Formats: sequence, C-alpha cells, structure tokens
Amino acid sequence: MIDPTPPSQPHASAIILAGGKSSRMGRPKALLPFDGQPLIAHLVRHLSRLFPDIVVVAAPAQALPPLPATVIHDAVAYQGPVGGLCYGLQAAQAEMCFVTACDTPFLNLALISYLLAQMTDCDVVVPLWQGRLQPLHAVYRRSVAPLLHEQLVRNELRPIALYAKVRTREVRPEEIGRFDPEGLSFRNMNTPEEYEAALELWRVRQRAVTCTVELFGVARLRAKAAVVPLTLPPGATVGDALAALAEQIPALVGSVVTVDRHGLTSGYICNVNGTIFIRDTTTPLQSGDSLLILSQDAGG
Amino acid sequence: MYGFHGRLLWVDLSSGTASWHQLAEGRLRLFLGGIGLGTSLLYDFAPPAVDPFAPANPLIFASAPLVDTGVTTTAKFAVVTTSPLTNFLVDSLSSSFFALALKRTGLDAVVITGAAATPAYLVITEDRVAVREATHLWGKSARETQDAIREEWPNADVRVAAIGRAGENRVRFATLSNEGRHAGRGGVGAVMGAKNLKAIAVCGHRRVCVADPDGVEAIANTLRQKSVSALTVKYREIGTVANLAVFNRLGTLPTRNFQQSTSEAVEALSGESLLTTHFSRVHGCASCTIRCERLFQALTGEEQRLEYETLFALGPLCGIADPEVVLHAARLCDQYGLDTISTGGTIAWAMECAEKGIWPAARAQGLRFGSAPALLSMIPAIATRTGLGALLAEGSRQAAAQVGEDAQYWAMHVKGMELPGYEPRSLKTMALGLAVSPRGACHNRSGAYEVDFSGQVDRLRAEPNRGALVAAAEDYTAVLDSLIVCKFLRKCFDHFYREAAALLSCVTGWSYTAEELRRVGERINTVKKLYNIRRGWHPRDDWLPPRLLREPLPTGVARGTRLTETELRAMIQGYYKARGWDECGLVPEKKLAELGIGHEAARSYRGMDTTRLQSGENDYADHTHTCNHILDSHN
Repeated sequence: MIDPTPPSQPHASAIILAGGKSSRMGRPKALLPFDGQPLIAHLVRHLSRLFPDIVVVAAPAQALPPLPATVIHDAVAYQGPVGGLCYGLQAAQAEMCFVTACDTPFLNLALISYLLAQMTDCDVVVPLWQGRLQPLHAVYRRSVAPLLHEQLVRNELRPIALYAKVRTREVRPEEIGRFDPEGLSFRNMNTPEEYEAALELWRVRQRAVTCTVELFGVARLRAKAAVVPLTLPPGATVGDALAALAEQIPALVGSVVTVDRHGLTSGYICNVNGTIFIRDTTTPLQSGDSLLILSQDAGG
Repeated sequence: MYGFHGRLLWVDLSSGTASWHQLAEGRLRLFLGGIGLGTSLLYDFAPPAVDPFAPANPLIFASAPLVDTGVTTTAKFAVVTTSPLTNFLVDSLSSSFFALALKRTGLDAVVITGAAATPAYLVITEDRVAVREATHLWGKSARETQDAIREEWPNADVRVAAIGRAGENRVRFATLSNEGRHAGRGGVGAVMGAKNLKAIAVCGHRRVCVADPDGVEAIANTLRQKSVSALTVKYREIGTVANLAVFNRLGTLPTRNFQQSTSEAVEALSGESLLTTHFSRVHGCASCTIRCERLFQALTGEEQRLEYETLFALGPLCGIADPEVVLHAARLCDQYGLDTISTGGTIAWAMECAEKGIWPAARAQGLRFGSAPALLSMIPAIATRTGLGALLAEGSRQAAAQVGEDAQYWAMHVKGMELPGYEPRSLKTMALGLAVSPRGACHNRSGAYEVDFSGQVDRLRAEPNRGALVAAAEDYTAVLDSLIVCKFLRKCFDHFYREAAALLSCVTGWSYTAEELRRVGERINTVKKLYNIRRGWHPRDDWLPPRLLREPLPTGVARGTRLTETELRAMIQGYYKARGWDECGLVPEKKLAELGIGHEAARSYRGMDTTRLQSGENDYADHTHTCNHILDSHN
C-alpha cells in the first residue's frame, strides 16, 4: 500500500495520554510489549503515518522509551484525562488535535481521517459507540484548552462535561461502522487478561488483510454504500476482495461483480489506492489498501 | 448511391443565392460524412487566410452515412468551420431530430458563405431554400428562436438549430443549439452570428436507401442490444456527471483553474448525490437507446441538463461547491448560447488573475474563486460583451494577451481553446492528446484519456510510446465522428474497425475493410493538420500551458506528480513519428500519396463536384513545407 505522506505544515496533531495509573494492569501500560516494541512506541509509529506532530502526555517523572514525538509531563499527577488533554492541547502545533489513550492498540487511520474531516464548524468531534461517547478517541480544537483548564480548577474531571459548552459533533455508530464495523478502535486494555486477548487478536489480524472497497457511480447506487471495509485471509487477492464484497452486498452480484464472484462485469474496472488500474484479479492486496470500483468508461 | 444522397447545397448569404451540387463518390468514400466530409470541404473551399468572422469563411453542416439508418445513437451532424477561438479548424457535433431532418432534405452537406445584410434565418427543404427575415428573433435564446420558427412554419417536421445572444455578439466560444443539444466548442455560433444568421430550419422526408437492408438491420439489432447492457450502464443510470467523484478520488479533477486536481467539497456536486438531491428526469437524443441525458431540478423549480464537463467547469474549476449555483450558471450558458467549458475556463482564469492582483479591474468587480455572484454576473456580461465581459468574450488566450504577460501564465488553453475536465499531469496520455489535437484542448477528438483509464499504461508516467496510442485514438475517434456514431456506444464494439467496416459496407454498398476504415481516420486527421498548417500552425502550437509544466500537483493521490517540458517534448516527437510526420510535425508529401490524397488523386474527386465554386486551388501538397521554415523557434 502507499502510506499517506505527512504534509509539510501540520494540519492536525495527535495527542496520546500516557500518564494513567495502570493500577489494575499492575505495571505501566505504556511500556507493555506490543508488536515487538513498547505499546507507546507502537502507537506513535502508527499515528505518525497520519500526523506530522505527535504529543505524548506522561505523568510527572514517568519513564518512557525514546520516541519521535514531543513528550510533556503533567504539571500535577493523576488529574485524569482532562488534565492530560488540557496540557496536550497546549503543546500541540496544529489547530485540530486527535486525542487517544495509550492503551488502544487497534487505532484505525481511516476512521481517524473521517473524524478529522468532520471538524468543519465545530470544536469537538466525538464518536458514539455502544451507547457511550468516546472522549479518548475524539478530535478537539486547540481553542477549547482554556475551558478544560477551568474544569481542572473546578475539579470537574470528566471530559464530557466540556461538550455542553462547545460546538460538539457526535459521530453516529453507522458512520463509524463504515470504517471499523467491529469498533476495535475503542478497545482498550485494563487488566492482564485484556492485554493477553489483545495480543492474540493482534497476531490474528496481522496475518489477515484488512482493506477498504470504495464504490463509485452505479456500483455505489446498487450497493447503497460508498465504502465497504473488508477483512480477508492472508495472501488475499483482488478476486478474493470481490468475493467478500459480493458476500457482504449480494445486490452487486451479476450487475457489478460477476456471477462467479471473482471478477467485475464488463462495465467496470478497479484501481488500487487511486493510482494503479488493475485488470488482473490475482493481484495481491495488502492491509490498508483501498480497492476502487468504477466505470471503465471515463467519457464526459 | 446508398447511405449518402450525393448532394451538397451551397448558400451564399451575401448574394442571397443557392445552388445544389453533386458530391463526388470519391470524396465520400475517402472522408465519409460528419467531421470527415466537413473537413475535406472546408479545406477545399475556405480561402487560405480567411478571417473566421469574414463572410468568406465557410460554415459547413455535414450529415453522415449512418444517420437515419436505424442504427442507435447515429442521429448526429457536424458543423465545421474556421474557429474564431483557435483560428484553426473547428469541428463540432450535435445531435437529435435536427440531424434526422437535415439528412431528410436530401443533402449530405450545406456550405454557407457570405453574410446577410440584416438578421436572417435559412429554411431548407428538399427542393427549396429560403432566406427569411430574423430581426424579430435577434436577442432571443436558441430555444425561443426554435419555438418561434416552428410557429412560423407549422409543420411538425421542421427542426431548428439556432444561436443565442452570445453568437449574435460574436463571443468566440458561442454555441449552436438545437433541441437542448449544442455544437459546443470552438465558437461555431459566433461564426453564424458574424454571418447575421440566427438559425437554420430544415424539413424533409427523403429517406436514404441502404445497400443491404437486412445486413444493416442485423448489425443495428446487435448494437441496440449491447447499448442497453452493462457496457453503457454509467451513461444510462447516472450520466456523465458520474465522473466528478471518481475523478476527484483519482486526482484528475481540475480545481480552481488547475491549481490542484482534487476539490475539498465535491460531495454535494457528485453525480451520485445530485441524483438524490436534484434529479428531475432522463432524456435522450432521437434514435438513441442509451439516453444519457440527466435533467436536474433547481430549488427554483427550473430544469437544467448537466453533463460532467459543465459540472466541472462551472463548479470546482471556479471553486464553486453549491449545486444550485452550478445549475443556475449552466442555465445561463444555455440561454445565451455559451460553451460551458470555455466559459468556466475563462472565468476561472479571470478569478485567478484577480486573486493574484494581476488584473485589478477584475478584483474590483469581486472576481474570486468560490464567488457565486461573480460567476453568475460574468456569464451575461460575456454574452452581451458588457464591462469585463467584453474582454472575457474573447476567450482566455486573447484576454490574457490584453491583460498582460503575467496573466498569460494562468490562461489554461491549447491553441486558444480552454482545457476540459481531465487533469493532464495525472493523465499523461491525455496530456499528449490535448497538446497535439488540431482542435485545441479538446477531450473529444482523441479521447486519449481512455488509454490512461484502461490499465494498459501507468497514467502518471510520460513515455514516448504514448504517441502511437494517441494517434490511434484520434483516428478511431475521427471515424466515429464521421460515420457518425456516438462515442458512448464505443464500448459496444468488440473489434471496432472490423465491425464498423461491415456496417458501413452494408449501408453504402462499398466494400470497406477494417484497414481502409482506419485509413479514413488517419486521412481526416492529416487534412485537419494540413488546414492548420495552411493557417500558420507552428510547432509551439502543439504545447500545454506553462502551469502544467512547472507546477507539481499539490494534493490527492497524484500529489507531487509533474509533467516536464522534456517529457512532453519526447511524447510529441513520439506522436509525430507514429503519424509518419517529420520532427517538426509537418506532413511529408509521400504521406499524402499513401493516404490517397496526393495531387492527382485529390484532383480527381474535386473535379467531379463543385469546382466552379472553389475559391482557389487548395492542394494538400502546397502545405507540406519542409521543416526548416519553423524549426528554429520550436519550444
């Protein structure tokens, strides 16, 4: 796949809150081994594909490995997420900031990009998942930092208390489902058992190919969807993706996807990541690829 | 004769005379109809250095062999003349019932020269021509003119093609319109306006005979079935507006005068969204089973047809994201008779000049990207040549020349024609097609973007071997435009030349081979080139605007992609080589002989038709100069 290249001027920053107590885990979460490195390093590396500016907010005197990020320390220990959020926003370079905790290893860049794109005329973009707002997987405008500081002074330590005071856009589950149908973005780890389960899931998903199908024109109308996320077995090809797409959206069979479910009908062509047009359906896909399905006729 | 009538009508508006002439079989066989026939007649009958607005500039309407044969999508006609926008040849197509009625007058072509002393319109029937007073129609839109003439000639079979106010005012990109369709590009409407000719009404019932009716019927049935299959589903279910969203994703949607190739706000303008928010109804041309036209309804309740090119040019190109504004602007262009691509391109240029501070007068008028009032006020100003509109009515090339040297950098044209909605930096084959097209920046006369979208080539890379692909695409398109078959039927042919040759043989009774038909396409493109050379074509005319060669694309999947002068030059050389032309792009004499239009061959078919009308001996060989004439100042 082609990595999104960070733009020269940061359009958005990422803030990772790493200063929690980790009391139920029994050891610092930020340093848990994950994918061959400390969890905090895993998150920084993953987010750096989207964000040129990353701020890690640690507790006072908290030890962290060397990171390609700006590391700051809370002025006061354990004030909860509002404190970390407030200090992180003050240290960020960009106007828009995506905020996450350090114990969510399954962040989905496509979903995060979508959240950033919703930040048009609001101050906070926050997902609603399984009936709960997700303040530690949300986008904040830097200008809300003074309000958070006031909350700290009042000892009002729940981030959602902010939402009534500013322009807040809630992102609905059906919007989230287009990018992350399983909601793995919000899966965190508080106990050793949850950590072990996350490691196992990571191993399974590392072998799997997670990609996205983008539908244009008549294909979009038939599917009644513009984007379809797919999780495919290791070594999956374009043909496998089409088969999985057909399974998920049977309305496409015969009209867009061939009846044998491994090719496109004669009116369509596909393109990988917006750059390469593909005719050979045995072309392998990689995790993160976008498979575009469009009309083969570009006449206008 | 089958498929053709073998007759041409010559009308001289200055003297008010008309004469019918036999068209030589040799000419028809070599050039077919449509743009091929129109090109060959223009070459023969246009004085070499004629001013596009001079009475002597012929305005040619050409029918074609497949018209009125029952083959789907063939109700089309061509208008060929010397373009006031490019000063080179322009061939423009329109379609529907006018095309059928024109052919049923028993004519394959109408050549109009001269100029009427006062506004006039022509009425052409099978055996008569009348020049009628049109002062009462002057100032009306094409649609109003059509309705008024049909009331004056209350025969249901009368069909009218007319110009609007833009054509009357010689706006260099004015259209000719019939039944809501337009011969859009290159200013054929302005040439008509210069002749004081408001409209042409045609009425006839003479059906052409075909040589093998059963053969034609069998092929027509196959094409009809294919025309409603998945091969045309985009056109049938969404229309060309489907291009917008996917072009944006692919980084090929020209935005804000080609500053970038993606737009931040395309969701509301995308075809998929418009179908939900503004769809009114489906429409189609006469004799067409595809029916690609989509009419959309504005909040005002008014209906407006939108195509991708209109949507792109009056939308992202001018920084406009509101569908209501685009619908309004498109309606104004249709009412006044303006080519939407050149209108959007010229206004986008003015917006950029205003923003960059190069043109203070435009800035003072509020021109800037995204300004709906600026866009909507400039369209009538252009059509009526009022205020800044008087300069913009000249097109971006001439306007930029008057505003100043800096302004020329932002004028996005080739040969004076504004670019269509296909970003050349991320469609490298298309870049070459746009640079070398005899018509200027045109997406229709080569359709080279098809190569980029095919998966055969890496669309982001420039390679010299694209020359052969562009030449082949131009020849193929010239045949489509001379048969005439709509381009939206092209995917319904498995082996185009073979199948089209079989169809043409059944229609005309002349035994065409696939290779002979391919040669027809090459011949037409060669004569277009010769016409342009005769009018002073220079190798620097086959080039792209400087912005495209200096600025890499800043956004989207093609971000960082550039096209260098060296790459473009190498592709152009590849094209000339594939054409068998010399390194300056000139046509060697031996190529004319190879194409059957050498001195003797041409004399034989010309001598049979309208020799006495000819203004001069316009021999092709006279315009096959040697390279030395122009090599020194090549880009």
